[in-house]
Amino acid sequence: MALLKIAAALMSALLLVQSPRASERQLKAVFLFNFAQFVDWQPVAAQDPRAPLRIGILGDDPFGAFLDETVRGEHLGLRPFEVRRYHEVTEIEGCNILFISRSESERVGQILAALQNRPILTVSDGDDFAKRGGMIQFVNDKNRIRLRINLEAAQAANVAISSKLLRVAEIVRTPRR
Amino acid sequence: MSIRDWPIKRKLTAILLLISGLVLLLTSAAFVTYQIVTFRQTMRNNLATRARILAANSTAALAFANEADAREILAALKYDPHMLSAALYDQDGRVLATYPAAAPAGLIPAAPEPDGYRFEGARLVAFTAVAQGENQRLGTLFIASDTKAVADALRLSGLIAIVVLGIALLAAYALAAALQGRISAPILALAETATAASTRQDYSVRAPKFGEDELGMLTDAFNQMLGRIEEQKKELQQHAKILEQRVAERTGELEKRAAELQAANGELDAFAYSVSHDLRAPLRSIDGFSQVLLEDYAAQLGDAGRDSLQRVRAASQRMATLIDDLLKLARVTRAEMRTEQIDLSGMAREVVAEIERTTTGERQVEFVIAPGLEAQGDSRLLRVVLDNLLRNGWKYTGKRAQPRVEFTAQDENGDRVFVIKDNGAGFDMRYADKLFGVFQRLHSAAEFEGTGVGLATVRRIINRHGGRIWAEGVVDQGATFYFTL
Repeated sequence: MALLKIAAALMSALLLVQSPRASERQLKAVFLFNFAQFVDWQPVAAQDPRAPLRIGILGDDPFGAFLDETVRGEHLGLRPFEVRRYHEVTEIEGCNILFISRSESERVGQILAALQNRPILTVSDGDDFAKRGGMIQFVNDKNRIRLRINLEAAQAANVAISSKLLRVAEIVRTPRR
Repeated sequence: MSIRDWPIKRKLTAILLLISGLVLLLTSAAFVTYQIVTFRQTMRNNLATRARILAANSTAALAFANEADAREILAALKYDPHMLSAALYDQDGRVLATYPAAAPAGLIPAAPEPDGYRFEGARLVAFTAVAQGENQRLGTLFIASDTKAVADALRLSGLIAIVVLGIALLAAYALAAALQGRISAPILALAETATAASTRQDYSVRAPKFGEDELGMLTDAFNQMLGRIEEQKKELQQHAKILEQRVAERTGELEKRAAELQAANGELDAFAYSVSHDLRAPLRSIDGFSQVLLEDYAAQLGDAGRDSLQRVRAASQRMATLIDDLLKLARVTRAEMRTEQIDLSGMAREVVAEIERTTTGERQVEFVIAPGLEAQGDSRLLRVVLDNLLRNGWKYTGKRAQPRVEFTAQDENGDRVFVIKDNGAGFDMRYADKLFGVFQRLHSAAEFEGTGVGLATVRRIINRHGGRIWAEGVVDQGATFYFTL
């Protein structure tokens, strides 16, 4: 099932030219799911080994059903995947990966500040998200989706990103103010 | 030369070499096979390890569809010259990146195949899953390496095997050549001794002994045999010497006797000759004067006187014949022999003609002479033989109504035996040995005239020719004379 879903997602990703928006959203959903494989949230010991691995979407959901389909029935170890949709930062509880929608671009600073030091992998496709203190930013590059990672932000939140993931991403820093 | 005729040394060496060669060959083959199998396994394991490392490194590249990174990861393969090609396929089976980056068509399979490793001709090909975590399959890695290493290993182990085989065979040959002597040397020594003993008849030789094994026992037995033969030969030689001595002694005695006999015979012949010769003169006088008396004084003598004188004459004439025969006998002994090829049939016909001429047809005797009878001998002497035997046949058939004399020949044990057979008076076999004695007669002169010297003469002639003569007879049924030459 999972393979089919991922296959379907990737297929649409490669059909990007014909249907850029739909396939792009699909691919991003798969990437969100894949991040779980390359990221460790500390402290691990405190966590229930069967606690669901929660992917949250803050703001308008651009993925529609894609993300739910992607994670349905999937596990990371013993942990099942789960998708939550939030409207306010205050609602966020027990979330591992948080996608911040473009609809929240204006409030990114406040959101990130609110999440300060919580072990949540923040992801967005908003402009300069990584530079502004987000952890992973989707960047469109010639019909491909590239990753931009702010390693310092992740480290500050005790989110350990695999060097493998770092290999395929562009590392940026938060400019010193 | 067939293997059967090879010298034992070569046979032993060949056997040893064959066995060690076979063992070495099998060992070498096992070694090479083991090398190849091990090397293929090692190579597979190495490729598997490399594939797993590559797969582990390329998870992120596949997860986030980063071709550049994938290419970079695969490009590291250039440090291993045996790696021919590689490719990363995404979940969908599409190629994300290849090695080399611009891989020519045919080098990379268009779609991933089931995971596994296999040798494809001169390539070792592997497909392995790229997965993050336990079951999170992200794609497939394809990798192919050449099998030059296997070929090199095969070549190297083959070379080693050949070198080892060669050295080991040389060593085996050297050892075999050195060790076969342990077995062949005693056998060769035995063979040499046996040859020496049989060709030179020298039984004093002895085979050297090399040990107490079966060959040692054989050598002992052989030497014992030689010893026994030597003893027996010595004994035989002694016996032979004694025999020779005895023969020499006997021969000497016999020669002496023969010389004595010959001398005695010679004297006797000379005596007989001179006596006969000297006896003839007075006999002629007696006969001659008796004839004068009968012719000139017949009137004065009267019947009784004339009859007496007639008897004197007959007796003296008979005595003259006797003396003639004795002279003939003596001459036969003294005359020199001239051997030549003689037509006996022709000679017999001449003799018969002469008999018929001298007897002037008083009786008709049928002579049957086999044609083509021939022999080696003195013609004068053999004529005497035929004359005597045929004349005897004529004489002793005198009382037969149908007298018949045959002269034939037969072969007995490879000897030519001449046969003169008549149907005359015959004789009693009890007196057969007396037939050939001088003056020995089985019939009275009144019955059959004769002097008793003829057959003695015949026997002498036959003896001088180195032949034998014997006779068979039945009274009143005839006699048969056999002789060889």
